[in-house]
Amino acid sequence: MLIVNPTFGLAAAAGPTVALKPINWATDAIALMSNSKPNARELLEGVKAKLGAFRNVDNIEFHAKNSASQAAPKELIQAVAGKYRAALLALGD
Amino acid sequence: MTDIAEQEVIDIGDMDVETFNEFATQQGWSDGMPLFVPTEAKVAKFVETVRGDNRPYSPVPPRQIVPTIQAMAANAVMAGCKPEYFPVVTAAMRSVLEPDFNLHGTLATTHSCAPMVMISGPIRKELNVNCSSNCFGQGWQANATIGRALGLMLLNIAGAKPGEMDRSTQGNPAKFTFCFGENEEENPWTPYHVQRGFKPTDNVVTVMSGEGPHNLNDHGSTTGDGLLTTFAGGMATPGANTVYGKGPSFIIIGPEHAATLKRDGFTIETIREELWQRSRIHISRVSKGNLDTYASTGHEPEGDYLRIGRSPQDLHITVAGGPGKHSAFIPSFGGTMVACTRIQ
Repeated sequence: MLIVNPTFGLAAAAGPTVALKPINWATDAIALMSNSKPNARELLEGVKAKLGAFRNVDNIEFHAKNSASQAAPKELIQAVAGKYRAALLALGD
Repeated sequence: MTDIAEQEVIDIGDMDVETFNEFATQQGWSDGMPLFVPTEAKVAKFVETVRGDNRPYSPVPPRQIVPTIQAMAANAVMAGCKPEYFPVVTAAMRSVLEPDFNLHGTLATTHSCAPMVMISGPIRKELNVNCSSNCFGQGWQANATIGRALGLMLLNIAGAKPGEMDRSTQGNPAKFTFCFGENEEENPWTPYHVQRGFKPTDNVVTVMSGEGPHNLNDHGSTTGDGLLTTFAGGMATPGANTVYGKGPSFIIIGPEHAATLKRDGFTIETIREELWQRSRIHISRVSKGNLDTYASTGHEPEGDYLRIGRSPQDLHITVAGGPGKHSAFIPSFGGTMVACTRIQ
């Protein structure tokens, strides 16, 4: 018996490919990105403190979505992508 | 052997319905209730009902694949739909794919939200959609299976598997199905789809990611003003996402309540304004921890009150149900919109 696969779909058109450069975790600028859920900031502060044990943290900065339930606006993503070499995300609840 | 996910048509050999259901459950295709078998022949009948509607579909999050008409039809078949329901199902799918509906967020959230589907226009009668007594409940094939078909599409095409991409803490019975029709015949005001700019003769699907209906019981009030006091009290819930998510809500007024409000001179606009003013939540009903959290994300009280939306326009109002002194409040996920699509 032939059936139609209820999970079938077509791959979405791929976006432009971005060449990733190596990240120097000891010196590069890093964004600490909160999903705006409770305690996300505290979690990221802990990450910053851990990073501070082996590197300068002056160029490690916090950012947050303006809504926990919605995607980060493109402008924020572009600003983070333009300024930092890496972003660490706090996800989940 | 090719992975099943890469094949649109699958040869499952000789299977009876029970064996197919075991197979489908193993594949993760089931909502836990028995499924109809999506044979090529059945699916073709559904596809025929939307022939000519060639508008493309957006990729469906979180899985980010573009759905095919055949795959959507397979889910509608499995749900128990009749072929003539399928244009409603595809319109519902288009609605949830509106960017501001925030499908990814509504599927992946820990909140209990489910896609509420409301049907407006003459098609309600053509498909025998229940708009009257028990309209949110069981007993009507169109209501039961159209809502279920959307749920199965979100499971199988979007990939919202419970405990995986669907992270809802407790879920909600409305996730099985949540579909009803407007009771336009007993609506003393303007039908919802006309409020949204459609013609009365248009057939329209309205979708919101909402909680299940919260009952608003009022047998004692004999005035519209009294009813609005009861409604507002039921809407002012500190535990709803809308207290800080600031999104839309529906107030589905029962016909008897609607008649009382109309008799006392209320319009949709004045009901909305009154409920906006009266449904504020006093901060004494909200914990300090929550107030601090809301403030940290930009949701400060207005004086001593929190609002349940961004403006009166976040309160969407219509009529459904049958005889009796009950109405319903349906708060949303918060970060979402009420999306309407005309059925082709």
